[in-house]
Formats: sequence, C-alpha cells, structure tokens
Amino acid sequence: MISALNSALNDIFGAMKLRRVWIALAHEDIGDQHRRTTLGPLWLLVNYLAFVGTFVFVFQPAGKDAAGYSAYVAIGLMVWFYLMEIISLSVPLFRRERSFIEGTTLPLFVYVMRLTMQSAIRAGYAVAGCIVILLLSGSDMTPAWLWSGAGLLLILLATPGIVTVFAFAGAFFPDSEFIIGNMMRVGMFFTPVFWVYSGQGGIQKYAHHWNPFSYFLDIARVPILTGEFPAHAFTVTSTVSICMWAMALLLLGRYRRQIVFMI
Amino acid sequence: MVSIKLDNVSLVYKLHEKLTLSAPDRRINGTGGTIQESGRKQFVRALDDISFELSAGDRLGLVGPNGAGKTTLLKVLYGIYEPSGGTVAIKGKVDALFNINLGFRAEATGRRNIVLRGLINGWSEAEIEEKMEDIIAFSELGDFIDLPFKAYSQGMAARLAFSVATALDPEILLMDEWIGAGDASFQTKAKRRMDELAEKAGIIILASHSESLLNNLCTKLLTLRNGRKESLVPVLSKLNLAITSK
Repeated sequence: MISALNSALNDIFGAMKLRRVWIALAHEDIGDQHRRTTLGPLWLLVNYLAFVGTFVFVFQPAGKDAAGYSAYVAIGLMVWFYLMEIISLSVPLFRRERSFIEGTTLPLFVYVMRLTMQSAIRAGYAVAGCIVILLLSGSDMTPAWLWSGAGLLLILLATPGIVTVFAFAGAFFPDSEFIIGNMMRVGMFFTPVFWVYSGQGGIQKYAHHWNPFSYFLDIARVPILTGEFPAHAFTVTSTVSICMWAMALLLLGRYRRQIVFMI
Repeated sequence: MVSIKLDNVSLVYKLHEKLTLSAPDRRINGTGGTIQESGRKQFVRALDDISFELSAGDRLGLVGPNGAGKTTLLKVLYGIYEPSGGTVAIKGKVDALFNINLGFRAEATGRRNIVLRGLINGWSEAEIEEKMEDIIAFSELGDFIDLPFKAYSQGMAARLAFSVATALDPEILLMDEWIGAGDASFQTKAKRRMDELAEKAGIIILASHSESLLNNLCTKLLTLRNGRKESLVPVLSKLNLAITSK
C-alpha cells in the first residue's frame, strides 16, 4: 500500500514538474478545435448562452420569478456541463493518449492534467457567460459569491481525482465509455440542473437527496441564490472528492505501469 | 561514461481480461513474444533472458522478424516497459524516436511543433530557444517551418523529428524503423549526425527490417527471435562471414 502510494505520488509530482507540457497541449487542443472559425473559442461562450437561453425559455415555471430562474439555470448548466465533460472525456482518456503512452515516458498524470486543463479553459468561458447572466438578471454581487467561488474551486480540485478514476475504468472496461456517456446524458434529467427541487416527494426527492451531483451543483448555486453557506452540500462534495482522490491514488500506484499493456 | 548493461532481462506481462460485454478478445497489441497459460491466466513473454553490454561509441542494430521483440526491447531501454526480470543498468541521458509524428500537431507550424516536442522531451524554454535556429537549419525546411505541419511530406516530417531528437546531443539515442523514411540526401545527413553523436561518446540503437541499412549505420547487430537473443555480432565480422561463405 505504501509503495503504491509512493508510486502514485511520484507520478503526480513528475507531472507537476512537467506542467508546461500539459498546459501547452491543452491550449493547442482548444485552439485546434476552433481553428479557422470566425469566433474561435468564443463559440464555447455562445454555445453556453444558447443552452441557458433555451432552457429558460422552455422550462421557466409559470408564475415564477424569471430572473431567479435564469440565475438558477445559468449556474446549474455551467457546473453540469463541466462535470459531464470531464467524466465523459476521461473514460477513453488513456486510449486517446495511446501514442504518447506507448512512445514517451511522460507520467500518466500528465494526461489527466491535460484534460483537466482543457476542461477548465472551456469552463472559463461558461463562467464568464454565467457572470454576465447573473448581473443582467439582477443578482447582487455579495460576499456570499465567495462561497460559490470556493465551491467551484473545490470542484476543480476534485477534477484530477475524478478524471483518473474514470480513465482507469475506461481502460479496464471499454464498454464503460458508452454506458457512462449515456448515464451522463440521462443524468441531467435526474439532477436538479434545470428543474427546481422545493420539497416535493417522489422521484425528484430521491434524485435530489441521493444524487451526489446535486451537491456539486448546490455548492456553486446556493450561496449566490440565497446568500447562505450550504454546509451539508460542502460536506458531501468534499467527502466524494476525497474518496475519488483516494481511489485515484490507489489505481495510479497499483496500475500505472500496467496501463501501457491494457490500452 | 555512457553505457548500457542488460543482465538476463525478461518482460512477462499478464493479459488483462478486460471486463467487456463483447466476445472475449485475446488479441495482444504492440508486442510479440510467446503466450503462456497458467491456470485461467494468460501471460505474454515478450522478452526472454536478454543480456548484452554497450559502451560509448557503439551503434547497435536490432534485427528480427515481426514480433521478435525489437520495439519491446527499445521500450524497455527507454523505460516505457518495466522489465519483470533481470536488470537494466543505463548510464547516460536516453532519448528516443519511435514515432515520427508523436507530439506533432497537424495544425501547428513546424516552429510551434519544435517548442511542443522540446517540452515533451523535458527541455527548458531557454534550451528550446537556443536550439531553435539550429534545428530549423538542419531540417532544411526553410520557409516551410512557418507553415502548418499537415503541409509537410513524410520526408519533411522525418527531417524535423530527427533534427529535434538529435538537437540536444542525446547520450543514448533509440530509434525504431522510421530512419528509412526521408530521401537519400536526408539519410546521408542523418548518418553523418549519428556518426557525430557516436563520436561524442554516445550510444545509438536502431531497430529496422533493413539489414543493409543497419550494416551501413551500425557497429553491432543483435538478432532477436521470439523475444530471445539469437546472436550479437560485430557488423564487420558479419560482413566477413558473408564474404567467406561466398
């Protein structure tokens, strides 16, 4: 166990020393995806605003405060899209990086950080769009926003652990790419991203209480919408994040030298 | 002093039964060797009892049929595969060229690709900056250096890859197959640079199916078959053998 932990930490520290590699590659990835387009990466912002606008237009509950619902959906979609992206893209990560893994001695965690960096850059455009929507919808910028910032930071810190776990899952179980992809698409409807939980029973109650994604959304959303600190949501999210990191360290330590034979 | 010493190196790895909903797939990828069964588990013995020593100035050619273990041995020497038996003792900085296009971005310019490949190789920004013009000059890409990499021919890509890989005078250089890429003038130039590297007390190991190419470039030939060492002979004696047999 100790040697596995040491092996994992060596890999992680090695990747951190090579941060210029994954930062450069992530920027190239984003640039390549939007090369020769007129708006370039601003398409990420446009896509996000289009989604928020559509959801608000279609799902805004009758008689409810339009501005409040816009803010609710804007934050919900921002966090959900980020989580959906990191999980869906992490499952085939090691297969996607196969030529690098088979041709270089870069630490495995470099690829984890490359994806984390890519997703963080994309999310940056959504955060900018979200702030604009919040300000336009009349949300006052209060000190409570700092709790939302802390929530986003916690999600960001959890990301490498989550990516590592799902990347190993994809290497061990190739079908998981499609299973998890479908689950994430369906999961949007089982998570209070655009529907509001207000104490009702039935499936929505279970989807809110037993779905860990609900708490990831709440730590970013509740402080801005209500001004309160969501202690329970922070506790659940922190616990999930620590568990993911623990699994990530175990997998990285135990299997990092085996991945080259598995992809 | 640069050196490589392998003692009874073997590489055995378990064929991981992937959890899958599809029919069992027992194909193996990348490496050759022999498949062994132990109960319900399957193992691949990709390298078996390989021993040799190389010192400064040696240029070793790896020959053998597909699946003989040439690429696997290079990857063990580079540290991609961890040997499951024996010892590998390497003194010197190892650099490798396994895949011409590795790390090169199709949409990025040659110049940007030099930066990216340099970062992947672990160079500092100052080292990249310092070597940039030398690399461009050696590659002879001229104005193409500021065009996207996707506009390059296979030979131009090979020139750029080779120029980057040899720019920092690696003490030990491992190359797989692709040295035969490029045109005749590039190969002559590449050979000259490899001569220079070897003269600077380096070690070069090349894997290729072309024995004539290896005879031309190397001082020793290691023949592998089914992951085992079949012979290790100096190139000159090999030539002599061929001459006397006629």
